[in-house]
Amino acid sequence: MPVDGLSFGDLTIEAVDGGQGPVQLFWSGKSADRYPARILGPYFTAVLGQAARRRAIVELHFERLEHFNSSTVTAIIQVIQEARAANVKLVIVFDQARKWQKLSFDALRVFVKGDDLLQIRSI
Amino acid sequence: MRHQFSIDLPVRNEWANVDLLRTSILNCFTAVFNDVDGCRSMAMVVGELLENAIKYGAWSGDERGFRLKVVGEENLARITVENPIEPTDPTIADLMATLAWLQKFSSADEAYRARLLEVAATPRELGSSKLGLARISYEGSCRLSAEVDGKMVRVTAEMAY
Repeated sequence: MPVDGLSFGDLTIEAVDGGQGPVQLFWSGKSADRYPARILGPYFTAVLGQAARRRAIVELHFERLEHFNSSTVTAIIQVIQEARAANVKLVIVFDQARKWQKLSFDALRVFVKGDDLLQIRSI
Repeated sequence: MRHQFSIDLPVRNEWANVDLLRTSILNCFTAVFNDVDGCRSMAMVVGELLENAIKYGAWSGDERGFRLKVVGEENLARITVENPIEPTDPTIADLMATLAWLQKFSSADEAYRARLLEVAATPRELGSSKLGLARISYEGSCRLSAEVDGKMVRVTAEMAY
């Protein structure tokens, strides 16, 4: 079953998933909710569960995202941890031409380990 | 051209106002400055400080508002958020401890990365990552300070531009 997208508040996550190959999730808009983990947590638990069953890579594309708050950073850290625990490879893609994205996502490289389960790359 | 400016607003403590003001600040300063990235940084700092005021302010009494000030002189912007507190509330000690903790690092980058690892190692608590101040210091390249004045706390971020 293909992964669904998500929309809440000003944030949209568009899922591109043909049922085979990587699950691509394109973030756009803004993530400024007070408790983003309340929505993102269960959503990504389901996404990672499906990806684990299919042995699929999950790609998070942030290039089109305009803004996120620090609570969203915390939610993304939880996704990174959950993906690693489920043995799902996670690829984070950002736009290095946007200074805020470069600063935010370069810092997340602290979670890259030798297990190759997390890759952070820029366009 | 000298970029002197001053914004001083009373704000209702409603979550939706965070993004309304963050976006307004972004639009205002984009109209003034060429540096879009710098405007985004300033707007991010405003957003994080406003979020903290709403999360940690003392809103149990009749108080429903707080204050945002953004002042620019020469090459320095000073962003201040002032909100009511209970002076004995542990969040005030937490705030001061966080500011002291940030100063222990040789760079804001190092402090932010250390904070990310702490967040990852800490049990989940909805809406309370305490990452915002480290982010302001790192992404906003800001110098942070705070002062308690009776039942108010004033948090200021100074940003060179």
